Amino acid sequence: MADVQDTIRERAAALLSSGEVSAVIGWGAGRFDDVRFPLVVKRAEDAGKLVFDASCVQMTAKRLLEHTGEGKVALVARGCESRAVNRFIADHQLTRDQVYVIGVPCPGMVDPATGETLKRCAECQVRNPVVHDELVGDPVPEPKPYRFAEVDRVEAMSREERRAFFDEMYGKCIRCYACRNACPCCTCRECFVEQDKVGWQGKAFNVNEARYYGMIRAFHTGDRCIECGECERACPMGLPLMVIMHQQVRDIDKLFGPYEGGGLTDSGPDPLRTYKTDDIEEFM
Amino acid sequence: MPRDNEQTGEFTPKILAFCCNWCTYAGADLAGLNRMNYPADVKVLRVPCSGRVNPQYVLKALQSGCDGVLVCGCHPGDCHYSTGNYYAKRRMMIFKRMVEFAGLSPERFQIRWISGSEAGKFRDTVVEVSEQIRALGPMENDAPSRAAIDAVAGTVASPEADEELFAAAKEAI
Amino acid sequence: MSRIGVFVCHCGTNIAGTVDVEAVADAARQMPNVAYAGTNKYMCSAQGQDYIVDIIKEHNLDRVVIASCSPRMHERLFRKVLAEKTDLNPYLLEVANIREQCSWVHKDKQIGTPKAINLVAMAVAKADCDTQLFTHEIPVTKRALIIGGGIAGIQAALDIADAGFPVTIVERKTTIGGKMPMLDKTFPTLDCSACISTPKMSECEAHPLIEIKTLSEVEKVEGYIGNFDVTIREKAKYIDYDKCTGCGMCETKCPQKKIPSEFNQGMSTRTAVYKPFPQAVPSKPTIDADHCRMLTEGKCGVCAKVCPTGAIDYQDVDRVTTERYGAIVLATGYELIDWTRLYGEYGGGRYADVISGLQFERLVNASGPTEGHILRPSDGTEPKTMVIVKCVGSRDPHKGVPYCSRACCMYGAKHAHQFMDKVPGGKCFVFYMDVRTPGKNYDEFYMNTLHEGARYIRGRISKITRRSDGKLVCLGEDTLSGNVVEVDADMVVLETAMVPPEGAKKLAQTVNTQLGPEGFFTEAHPKLRPVETNTGGLYLAGTAQGPKDIPDTVAQAGAAAAKVIGLLCKQSIESNPMVAHVDDSKCSGCGACVDICPYSAVTLVEKTLRENSRKVTRTVAQVNEGLCQGCGACTVACRPGASDLLGFNDEGIMREVEAYATR
Repeated sequence: MADVQDTIRERAAALLSSGEVSAVIGWGAGRFDDVRFPLVVKRAEDAGKLVFDASCVQMTAKRLLEHTGEGKVALVARGCESRAVNRFIADHQLTRDQVYVIGVPCPGMVDPATGETLKRCAECQVRNPVVHDELVGDPVPEPKPYRFAEVDRVEAMSREERRAFFDEMYGKCIRCYACRNACPCCTCRECFVEQDKVGWQGKAFNVNEARYYGMIRAFHTGDRCIECGECERACPMGLPLMVIMHQQVRDIDKLFGPYEGGGLTDSGPDPLRTYKTDDIEEFM
Repeated sequence: MPRDNEQTGEFTPKILAFCCNWCTYAGADLAGLNRMNYPADVKVLRVPCSGRVNPQYVLKALQSGCDGVLVCGCHPGDCHYSTGNYYAKRRMMIFKRMVEFAGLSPERFQIRWISGSEAGKFRDTVVEVSEQIRALGPMENDAPSRAAIDAVAGTVASPEADEELFAAAKEAI
Repeated sequence: MSRIGVFVCHCGTNIAGTVDVEAVADAARQMPNVAYAGTNKYMCSAQGQDYIVDIIKEHNLDRVVIASCSPRMHERLFRKVLAEKTDLNPYLLEVANIREQCSWVHKDKQIGTPKAINLVAMAVAKADCDTQLFTHEIPVTKRALIIGGGIAGIQAALDIADAGFPVTIVERKTTIGGKMPMLDKTFPTLDCSACISTPKMSECEAHPLIEIKTLSEVEKVEGYIGNFDVTIREKAKYIDYDKCTGCGMCETKCPQKKIPSEFNQGMSTRTAVYKPFPQAVPSKPTIDADHCRMLTEGKCGVCAKVCPTGAIDYQDVDRVTTERYGAIVLATGYELIDWTRLYGEYGGGRYADVISGLQFERLVNASGPTEGHILRPSDGTEPKTMVIVKCVGSRDPHKGVPYCSRACCMYGAKHAHQFMDKVPGGKCFVFYMDVRTPGKNYDEFYMNTLHEGARYIRGRISKITRRSDGKLVCLGEDTLSGNVVEVDADMVVLETAMVPPEGAKKLAQTVNTQLGPEGFFTEAHPKLRPVETNTGGLYLAGTAQGPKDIPDTVAQAGAAAAKVIGLLCKQSIESNPMVAHVDDSKCSGCGACVDICPYSAVTLVEKTLRENSRKVTRTVAQVNEGLCQGCGACTVACRPGASDLLGFNDEGIMREVEAYATR
């Protein structure tokens, strides 16, 4: 990965000094060896601060939206970031010419807490960038690991156990909205949870309100989820948020498919924004 | 409103039915016109189209006191707005699967297509749903048993999820 | 804090019989924001209306809830009362349906009263969130477009133009007229079809307010009632109609003479430069680009040489124009089902003497290929025995279509009559499933045919085979006697089903309306709005809506014209205020609503907005209020609820849900 990191630095410096891009978004070193943070580099001489190693756990793509209107911005993008770029374009939050994608095939990151492969990387379906202006490093194999193990586990439970599972999950939710802030599908200007007047979301701190938040957010993003798993990674309570996303993704794939993870292209109507007159009928 | 019938002590469920103005609401009116008789457990909320029914209303209803929710619209292909019920169908199919995945009894959230001429079907649906919910009892009955809680305890959040952090957050909020 | 008035109607004993209306009013007084609650015997009566008006003024009410019959019944009336007799905006009104959905379906007050209270509580909660809504005026373009130039289109065009409004007829063939001029005589009066239809065609041509575009198709329709922007492609005719006098020189000299004539149903030929029949309108020829040697091979040019006015233009191209119309009439007609593809047992088209009803019309027509003599297409001899098979394709869900084509029973009887009239001593057998003659003088006509000697046999023909002597052996069953029937016929006429014309589906998408399962355009209401569609400003005439005969077609065309005239004589129409509305500050311009809208009413636009005291230019969704029909599908797709439906807003519905759930 050291070669890749060097090339990223070189390319970032070149892009910045040529003026082709106004900023490069990647990762920088944190206070500890195994901690990396999203870094926005605006001067060619700072390109050396960019880091790329197995500790780059964050998904940086959402930073792009903070820099629209500043000219073209380069993004160091792995599979997940590249899908987020497509997601932004499909949601009209970004145009393709606003971003310069430095694609980086990703072998998977390491969870600093456990020293093992990060969960979202262990479930990753698309390690190589699906869109890029240039590719740094050689494409990596796509093992396409099975990602529905947790869904299977919950599905196998009795109804009461499932309810207990989600009661426990939402009972632990502190509604910090970190999942929403991290999610590349959550690009609303004003989230439904903050609209007090309409009263979607109550202010009370209890499992019901957390469930309302969790499930509605999941439904809002369900047909567009790129399965990056960043919500789950960002959750300070360590809640298995992807279980409900994966459940929806699998249902949508089965019912209205194929939906092999969103963000593979930047077009095509999202499953809940379209219909077929011969969709299966179960409500007669 | 008392939840249980004062005389019999019988549980009277609260069921909310979202009905589209052009088909099901008309069908419900026709049921009245024909003096059909059905349980009073279901109250109809009129919306222009089943495509107007936001799943958020459904969850809100179920979480704030309703024991069941029914969403009704025109048969696919007959929508007054041509396509509204097709969108409703997809949304509800996904949403229903999700809430059931999260432990809701399937009978508590149902979707039916009832046309303006199907007064009988409206009555039958109300009777059927009402009986199902009566059998299930109030929403509180959906809560998991101690055994179920124990069975999943500790398998939800990863072990490092911090009890102290949660306590602190709860304190702060 | 709003001041809501709750008015509970007794409706005589209709409501008061099973709902304790006073108890409902008492309960309403305890509900939040309710400033007044009272009852009246008949709220919809003049006296009841006055009561509402007086109380609104006396108690300074700003919202009204009426607990009465279904809002589908009287909501409009009560809105009118508010608009005309009070200062309240008519949309600050909610109706709680305590009759159709409460008092009428419950047997005693024990059940009816608490339910009525719940329903009122829901209406009160929603009323509190109601906002003032305003209609606005949509200007009306005083021109009509008729798509299809058959008898339906012609009749509608003439009626509208006679009322003083300009009309454009778009016809995809080379002449207007449709199928009617092909017919010989019309039932039940047996008047000559061409003699009554062609004068109407020339009347159209001569009418100063009617513009005819032949060889033309509608490519795109944008806009809404009163203001449709229609793009029409007029295909190249290769003849300059300004120069052409219609002398017919080109037709006589054209060397390509072997093209099957569509007008004569393939039983005669025509030239490549042609007029389909002498009375065609416009009465000028066109060049059939698929068969013209000059256009296909680049050599010939005879017509250009002989044309005395130099009207031939081989370089002619399609012309595409976009114009604005206030109303559109769909009069696209029908086609006959292709029986050769479906009925192998009738020879599948291999036997020349098994013909369709329309081919028979041409055979028996004086201007047809045989000059009116009924002659077998195979050998030109006069058939002595003819078999007519009805319901070929119709009422046959397995092979054809499930519906009845309505006209075939009558023209089948007419064909039998014409055969026996023209072939003395001829024998005619009619195989039928039922005989349906529900029209003025129709059954009399059928009885007459029976008396003339037509043999009606109830049953379907199961097989037709051709014997070596040329006879067509028709095998069937007489289901009344149970006997097998075998007829040696000289000719067989199949009365085939009417089906929607090719392209109806595409046109439905273009004009944004619906087709029924059988492929005909769907009317807004099968009984009460038979010529309207669910798309405002779009009307139906003739067989575009479903199979029918000429009298019904003409009647419906007149009805559609009356609707169009009713629209066009208005200066402007009032918009529906219950439409989607986008809150710019919440909208992120994601475009979910644009994808979903069935009326293409939502578009993404660049807007300059003031946000946090700064001017910003962003992309946001915008609703065209003329196009929006208020279904609200977009509002659910909108995650932050930036798109909301006026009259059924998110807040109101949420309050309504809570009012019931928490009560």
